[in-house]
Amino acid sequence: MELISTILIDFALAFCVAFCWGILFGTPWKALLAAGLLGGFGHGIRFILLQSNMGLVAATLIASVSIGLLGIYVAHKVHNPPVVITMPACITMIPGLYAYRSMLAGIKLSDQAILDKDPNVIPTIAHNAVLTFSLLFTLAVGISISALLFRNKNIGIRFDKNRSRSKDK
Amino acid sequence: MENTTKSPKNIKASEVAEFILDAGVFLMASGAHSGRVWRNCRRIAEHWGYRMNFNPTFTGIMVSVWNDKDSENAVTRYKTAPANTVHLETLTQISHLSWKIADNEIEYDDACLELEAIKHKAHYPFWLVALAVGISCGCLCTLAGGSPVDAALAFCGASVGSIARHFILKKQFNQFLSIIIASAITTLIAGTDTIFGLGRAPEMTLATSVLYLIPGVPLINSVIDLLEGYFSASIARSLFAASIVSSIAVGMILSITLLGINNF
Repeated sequence: MELISTILIDFALAFCVAFCWGILFGTPWKALLAAGLLGGFGHGIRFILLQSNMGLVAATLIASVSIGLLGIYVAHKVHNPPVVITMPACITMIPGLYAYRSMLAGIKLSDQAILDKDPNVIPTIAHNAVLTFSLLFTLAVGISISALLFRNKNIGIRFDKNRSRSKDK
Repeated sequence: MENTTKSPKNIKASEVAEFILDAGVFLMASGAHSGRVWRNCRRIAEHWGYRMNFNPTFTGIMVSVWNDKDSENAVTRYKTAPANTVHLETLTQISHLSWKIADNEIEYDDACLELEAIKHKAHYPFWLVALAVGISCGCLCTLAGGSPVDAALAFCGASVGSIARHFILKKQFNQFLSIIIASAITTLIAGTDTIFGLGRAPEMTLATSVLYLIPGVPLINSVIDLLEGYFSASIARSLFAASIVSSIAVGMILSITLLGINNF
């Protein structure tokens, strides 16, 4: 029971993040809700996978790929290109903490006294930088999964059909 | 090709190239990856009876437009992209416009007018963006394990920094400068958490409050371009993103040094 409530809280927070990030990126307001839901869903998946002891990078990859795949379907529902909603949704998993840690360690590296006291600074930089880049790469793969798996043209045609259908109504 | 044998629309190659460039550079600056720009532009060109090829770089687009039947009617042009401001609504609208053109619902002149209207479409107001940025940084802080006090400080730092950046950009200063100042202000506010020991996880406040400056769209687009084979655009985008990230770092370093590095 407690686990479910934690997952729900995680979902709600990630929903807020993706929704607000959509505003920052200028996503059309009709698509904001879709972006928020996708973001919450993806972050929720990652949370569950992390709870079941999966690695951070693998969990993020699975979450962002599921955001990317689900995004194709949702995008047709709200008549927007997929990237408009998957971009804010994937940003919820941006590796800010690791980027910050590698930067902070980088500042410390420039100070001899701190380096003498704590020689672990260099492994800290390396570890966090590698994590940052791999997480960024997984996010990009998730967003571009539609273009990678399906040929561009098919998606375009499907998008078009939806658009003309919505106009007929 | 079937598409090139469509009825002539009496549109000159230079007009088509002009339209494609206008739409293309604007898409590029609004946060579209090169593959998307290519698809939208080709859709337009093919409908108007031309074939096209283009070389996208992040700073501009070079496009060739030609007609297989009329070899005189061909043109190659270049256009520099406007300043990079992420606005995803543009992607939706230009995509819709290109489909309208492909479905023969709109003539050349009307399409030009519509493109002009899309270009002047306003972004969300800055106070709404500041509020949204604050909320999302607060939520990210909570997600990373911060207490409500940490989240509140992240909220304040991000909102104030975002407003400051808006006014600096309004005065037409360099955008990297605006990012340095914004991240310094944000770090100063978020750093009070560490200095006075207010929250449970002050490290999270600092790490998450500057995330609103992270160039997520250029970073991710550069990887997408890399995967799709647009190498020059990819390199330019990653350089742009890297310089923004280093600007953020410079701003944070300024504030952290001011507050005392030994406190962190």
